Order: sequence, then structure tokens, then C-alpha cells
Amino acid sequence: MGFSSQDELISSITTDGQIDSIVYQKTTPAAGLAGHWQHALSGVGSIPAATFSGAEATFVPTDNTWSEGAIPVGDQTDPITKHILSMGVSMVGAAGAPWFILPIDLVGYAKLTTTNVSTTGAKTITMTPIGSTAANVDRYPEGEGLRMFVASYATMGANAPTMQVTYTNSAGTAGKTTQAGIVSTASATSGILLNSGNAANKVGPFLNLAAGDTGVKDIQTLTWGGTAHASGSVFIGLCKPLCMPIPVPATGLYNMVDFVNTLPSMPRLRNGANVQFLIFATGATTSGATFYTNFDYGWN
Amino acid sequence: MAGFRNVAQWASASDAGRVHMTTFRKAVASAATAANDFVDYTYFAGNPPANFYASAPLEAAYVESIRGINIPNIAGQFLKSITVMSAAASATTTSNQNQRLLLADYLLYYPFVDTDAVGEQQDMIQTVSLPRYIGGAGVQMMAVGQSASSAVGQFTVTYTNLEGVPGRVSQNTFTKVIGGGGTIVSSSNNAVTGSHPFIGLQAGDTGVQSVESVNFTAAGGGLMAIVLVKPLFNFYSTQECRRTTSGNLESYGAASQFETVIHRNTVEIKQGAVLGVVGLGNAGSLASSVLVGTLETTWGA
Repeated sequence: MGFSSQDELISSITTDGQIDSIVYQKTTPAAGLAGHWQHALSGVGSIPAATFSGAEATFVPTDNTWSEGAIPVGDQTDPITKHILSMGVSMVGAAGAPWFILPIDLVGYAKLTTTNVSTTGAKTITMTPIGSTAANVDRYPEGEGLRMFVASYATMGANAPTMQVTYTNSAGTAGKTTQAGIVSTASATSGILLNSGNAANKVGPFLNLAAGDTGVKDIQTLTWGGTAHASGSVFIGLCKPLCMPIPVPATGLYNMVDFVNTLPSMPRLRNGANVQFLIFATGATTSGATFYTNFDYGWN
Repeated sequence: MAGFRNVAQWASASDAGRVHMTTFRKAVASAATAANDFVDYTYFAGNPPANFYASAPLEAAYVESIRGINIPNIAGQFLKSITVMSAAASATTTSNQNQRLLLADYLLYYPFVDTDAVGEQQDMIQTVSLPRYIGGAGVQMMAVGQSASSAVGQFTVTYTNLEGVPGRVSQNTFTKVIGGGGTIVSSSNNAVTGSHPFIGLQAGDTGVQSVESVNFTAAGGGLMAIVLVKPLFNFYSTQECRRTTSGNLESYGAASQFETVIHRNTVEIKQGAVLGVVGLGNAGSLASSVLVGTLETTWGA
């Protein structure tokens, strides 16, 4: 239902107790790279380090009951709507600052390993297209608003092939492609968004969809071109960015955004939302950095 | 694609996926810049990659789209937000604080103007015409250094104005001594000590369609490009971001966020725009500092 007024919000969170706070902490799995985005999924912390189980090249839906590590955000079934009211973030790391922290709802992933990484060509992804049912995987009907990234979850081998994803957009048109010529990152550490970086033919945090597309319903292939990575393990992440990236100017500083009063966007946490975080590092870090966040969400 | 009729449409665009967010990171070269000189951040390395205005001398050319901040190539797009931070060159550097910044659409440039060619009219070659702002409304000229510059020169630019009138002559403009390419080499129009990003137009003119020639009356000792840009959005960066490494260890820094509609009016970003940032550091040299930011755009249904 959401909140129709400030009075209703105040009543919900004070009289009805419809508010919860989340505290989350992770250590990035490895040193960050200058100008790259990272994920913290496979880092240790207050929720487990994800191992990306599941079948090769097969889409694995994730929600807030994901056994590999999800924040337990609220009731998944009630016909209420949940909204982030405020969020604060901090980073402690050597030489990586300043950072941006972007909260996302990870709808799912498809992993690629061994020869699906060490050879070029089109790698077919098995996926049931996102629909418009009440299932958690369909929490963004037809994939509206979803974006993709390609990330490492192990140290990558040498070489930087090009990458291009073929997908069905949220209007149902198959065979759409992300921007051509985007190159991966050679010898990247674990946890790096390989499409991002500090050079030409890099985009971040997400792959550019075809002009005018607003979402992703189905991932069909990931095509590697040029010279393949010598080795490595990657996944294609399918996610919904939840709000603005929150800046952290220097190590140890804490920055909080009020989504009710100063930026009244009150990002919605859909039933099943699997809240994760992407991190942009301006400089390279020499070791895994520690990331802290807390956020309040209310519901009605 | 349509624009927005009300705040509800603006707000719902994000949920509908009609939003694009990107990061940019530009590292100023190691050559010192002077306090209160403007720099053209597109000239420096990073993501997007450096834009050196490297093409045939004096021939009009477009800035390649990959040199601009990554945005969708669609019509009816508007600026949603910009957030910026400036990383200091070292743990003690403070000279990159308090930068005035300008987001601009880079339209056209004429490279390798010889600032030593006193008394010689350097005629431009019109191989391409002004894109996106066809009439040139609001389009301004910048003189971007393409090398170090060793002397205080003086020049005028002859151009065709917004109304299509050729032969218009800019204000007499000074060049500065600069340490390397990427600094805007022109001063404010009446003294070498002043700073302004744009070359002063002939009285009454408000835009430029094309540049016809450049005439130097005093040698500047370098090379420069005349760049036509459409200024889009003024913003700023406040405190430099750094952490001390001796004494009392302390972290410094600030982020500056500008959310259009809430904080300021939005601005249209035309299809094919090549976005870059012009900055002025008023606290000292920007050498080796890093400007990093996020930029969001949105569009209607």
C-alpha cells in the first residue's frame, strides 16, 4: 500500500511498529582495482560468503531466503509494501577512497566457469524468462528495471576478452544485445565487476542495454570475443538498482541518506528482495576493505 | 519519447527502468595547473578515456562518443543527478578542494591552432557542421591547450554567430603560461590574470555556429584547440578526499550531490551528446587529483 502521508508513515512506525533496522558488514573478498566496481557477495561478514552453487550456465533465482547469504528483509508474503527510509554506509580500506556504494536487489545469477570462461564464443544461458506472477523471481514483472553485470568470484587469468550479452527485453523482444566491444579485465581479483574499469570500452556498474530498453526478461547468451581469459569464474548478475549510489569520501567516514525528507524516493523493497551492495573504488586497495551499512525500512 | 508532465511521472521513471546510472573517473595529469585556471577534464585519462583533440589540424571534427560520459543514445533524456568527489593527489594535498564544475555537451572542435602564428590568419576547414544545437543557441567557444604554453599571447576568433552572420570577431583574448595540455589556455578577455572558460563573443552575440579563423597578435608559445560546447549544468566539489598518514591520522572529504527537480531545474541531454566536465580549482594545482562521480539520466515513456 505504501504511505499516503507523513502522518501515516509516523503512525505505522511508532504506533504499529512497522519498522525494522538492518545492520550489515562484509569484507571484500580481495583487493579492489582502481576505477572498478566490486561486489561483496563472496566476502565474509555478517551474512555468509556466497559460493555460487547451482548448475553451470543456468540462471539461479535469489531472494531474501537465499541460503548462500541474504539479508532477512521482512515478510515476503503480506500484501504490504516495504520501503527504505534511510541508509548509511561506511568503508574502511587502504587507498581505495573515495567510494560509491550502490544497493541492489539481486534477482538472480548465472555462473560460468572452466571452459565457459577459458574459451571464446557464445555461452548459452538456461533461464526461465521472468514473468508477472506472484513468485519472488517475478518481483519485477517482465524484468522491468533490471540491469546486468558480469563479475568475477575467483581470481581471473590473463587476457581481457570482449563481452556481450544477448537478452530479451522487458517488452518481450528477444535477441537484444548489450553494447558491443566492452572488454573484461585481465587478471582481475575476485569480486570485480569485469565490465567496469578505468579505461576505454568499460562501462559501470551495468552493461549498457540496447538504446531505449528499460529491463531484462531473459538472459540468452554471454559471448566472449578476442582472446579468452586464461582461467576464472564469473557470474552474470541480474539486479534492480534500489537507489542512488551513496558516496563515501574517505576511509572511516560514514554517510547517511534520508530517503523520506531530503530525497523522498523511499525505494521499495519488493517481496523477496535480496539486498546486496556494489562498491565503486576510485583507487586500488592493497587488501580487502571492510564495508558497513545500516538501513531502516518501514512497511504499510 | 516524451518528457515529463508532473513529479509523479518523474518519480515513477526509476521504477519503470527509464533511468541510467554511470560512474566516471578522470585523473588530472601530473603537470601542475595554476590556481583559478580552468581545466578540461575530458583531456585526462580514465573512464571515459582521454580526449586529446587529435585529428587533422584546423579541420572541424566531432569529439568521439566514447570520449564522453557513458549515457544512452536516445532522445528525450534529462539529467537526474550528479554526485562528485575529488580524490587528493596525496595524503596532504589540499589544492583540489573547492572546484567549480560545469557539465557540457562537447559538440565540435578545431585542433592544433598554432599560438605562435602572429600575423598569420589561421583559416578553419569546415569538414563537419555543428551537431545537436544546429543554430548554435548558447554554444560557446573554449580554447583548450594541447601542449605546454610558454608565453602570454593574444588572439581573436572570427566566427559565424547564432543568427548565421559570418565575420563576427571575439573579444581580444589573452593566453596563459600553462604546464601542459588540458588546461583552458585563454584568460578572461581583458587580462591575463582573469579566468573564464569561454572566449568572449562580439557584443550582442549569444551563440556560435562555426569558427572561421583565429588571429594571433602576440605569441603564446604552444598549441590549442577551439572547442564548441553547450554548457548544461553548473555544480561543484567541496573538500578534497584524503587520509593523513602521519601524526593524528584523520580522514577528510566530502561528496557533493545535485539532484535535479528537487535541488535544481533539470536540463535536456540531446541524443548523441558527448558529456564532459570543465573544472576550476581555486586552491592550487589540480595535478594528479582524481575527479570521480556518478551521473544519472532519465527519460519519459
